Amino acid sequence: MNMQEIKENLITHVKANFPEAAEKEFDGNRLDFNVDKQCIPSILTYLKDRLGYIHLSHIACVDWLEEGEFEIIFIVWSPEEKMKVFIRTRIDREKPVMPNIDMIWRQANTYERELREMFGVEFIGLEAPDEFLLEDWGGPPPMRRDFDTEAYADDTFWHRPGREDALDVREEIIRRSREEIPDFAKKYSR
Amino acid sequence: MREKATTLYLGPQHPGITGNMMIRLKVEGDTIVGATTEVGYLHRAFEKLQEKRNWLQSFTLMCRFCVPETDPMEESYARAVEAIEGREVPERAKYIRVMVLELARLASFMLWYGGQNGSLGLYTMGQWSVGDRNYILDLFEELTGGRVYHMYIWPGGVRRDLPKGFEQRVLKTLNYLEKRLDDYDDLMFDNAIFKKRVQGVGIVNKEKAIEHGVVGPVLRGCGIKSDIRIDDPYEVYDKLDFEVPTSDGADIWARALVRRREARQSIRIIRQVIDMMPGGSVYNKIPNPQKWTLPKGDAYVRTESVRGEIGMYIASDGGLNPRRVHLRGAAYVHAITLLEDVLIGENIADVSAIMNSLGTCPPEIER
Repeated sequence: MNMQEIKENLITHVKANFPEAAEKEFDGNRLDFNVDKQCIPSILTYLKDRLGYIHLSHIACVDWLEEGEFEIIFIVWSPEEKMKVFIRTRIDREKPVMPNIDMIWRQANTYERELREMFGVEFIGLEAPDEFLLEDWGGPPPMRRDFDTEAYADDTFWHRPGREDALDVREEIIRRSREEIPDFAKKYSR
Repeated sequence: MREKATTLYLGPQHPGITGNMMIRLKVEGDTIVGATTEVGYLHRAFEKLQEKRNWLQSFTLMCRFCVPETDPMEESYARAVEAIEGREVPERAKYIRVMVLELARLASFMLWYGGQNGSLGLYTMGQWSVGDRNYILDLFEELTGGRVYHMYIWPGGVRRDLPKGFEQRVLKTLNYLEKRLDDYDDLMFDNAIFKKRVQGVGIVNKEKAIEHGVVGPVLRGCGIKSDIRIDDPYEVYDKLDFEVPTSDGADIWARALVRRREARQSIRIIRQVIDMMPGGSVYNKIPNPQKWTLPKGDAYVRTESVRGEIGMYIASDGGLNPRRVHLRGAAYVHAITLLEDVLIGENIADVSAIMNSLGTCPPEIER
């Protein structure tokens, strides 16, 4: 089968079982399906067990802040058909809840832990330690678009005494050592 | 009488010469009965930083994701950006990219030789191979200006053409390294201590490999012929002739045999690339980086590194900065769920050898 036939065959099979899945074709060996989040475990199981998409390559999350949604993308790969399939779903940004898929692929557990910590997406039934990359984190999930890195740092941490912002280091050195510091730029300019 | 389990902390200071991470081991005697990977010592928030930088500025961060092999990340970023934008790359640039990627592979194999042996207390190999790696780094220094971080493969092509006579210097280095690989074989694969320590240790069989989404040499070490350069070819790999070695042993020894043969394949690829390299330009100029926007869309590209698949997901909202960049390295899969599973039943003394064999690279996990 050539690539186009593989794609058509795949679309026929997926649409027969998941009529609501909306496909989108791309050049090369890529095919996208937009589905509802409740379908995710069943469509991934179907792709893995029936159609040979045995390798879960990636789970990504994109924060569409302006639209109030997270987009979660599962990318699976078939070594037989040499095809990448993107399973995409959109979830509410206020209450981000997803079904858990780590019983299909064990490594999904790691991806889900990261999304839980970095985006605050809750995966129902995910069994993993609370902390992954962050330690004693009290703030909002840091990879969200509305997380202001600078404001968080200013609120949470403090400057060492004498190192407050907008301090001219040269003046401070002069004050402490009571010595005049030569203007090197002037001294060595030709 | 059953022994009481004790908790033992391995790391976070470079356990098994791989990088900063910790494994909390539960041991009975010196047998491991439970393991938990703890990461978080190296998080640099590159992906967050990239959302605030323009497309060219965020390229400069890519090579810093993983130190032992920096070029696959640059290449996958460049290729993902080109895929979103639909930008063509000159043919010569593709050949140069493959040459750089394979040189980086070879350099990374040299580090692996050192790490795998060092984790078993056999330090001579590390001194030889890391010394020989410097000859490759010298080539990189001449080509890119940097020894470890190159920032050379960027969207649109590569940053500059090869210096005069560079190909000859590469071939000379390859001839030398090929001879050295024979010496390595004598020192490593004919070594009774090495054999005894690694045969039958750290088993990852086919079922476990599929269940955990294993990639790269670990997958090939359990008899599955899988290589992204063949399965999902990029750049000019579909025009090149090379083999994908496999082995059936499924243990550290089998994976070492796979890597040993892969290093020779890399030399073979570089020689072909130099033979076939066309002339022409090496760079399709990008617009002014301060005003450079990409169309709305996303791309996912995969690159074969020494440790296995590197996946790069990039989403663009049509603006000046990436909406989201997410990198998945082989260690992201291997060093957490798989490692925790494989370690059970093994001896404490073998942990770092297993980590090295699975291609653990903590900076790749945390990014």
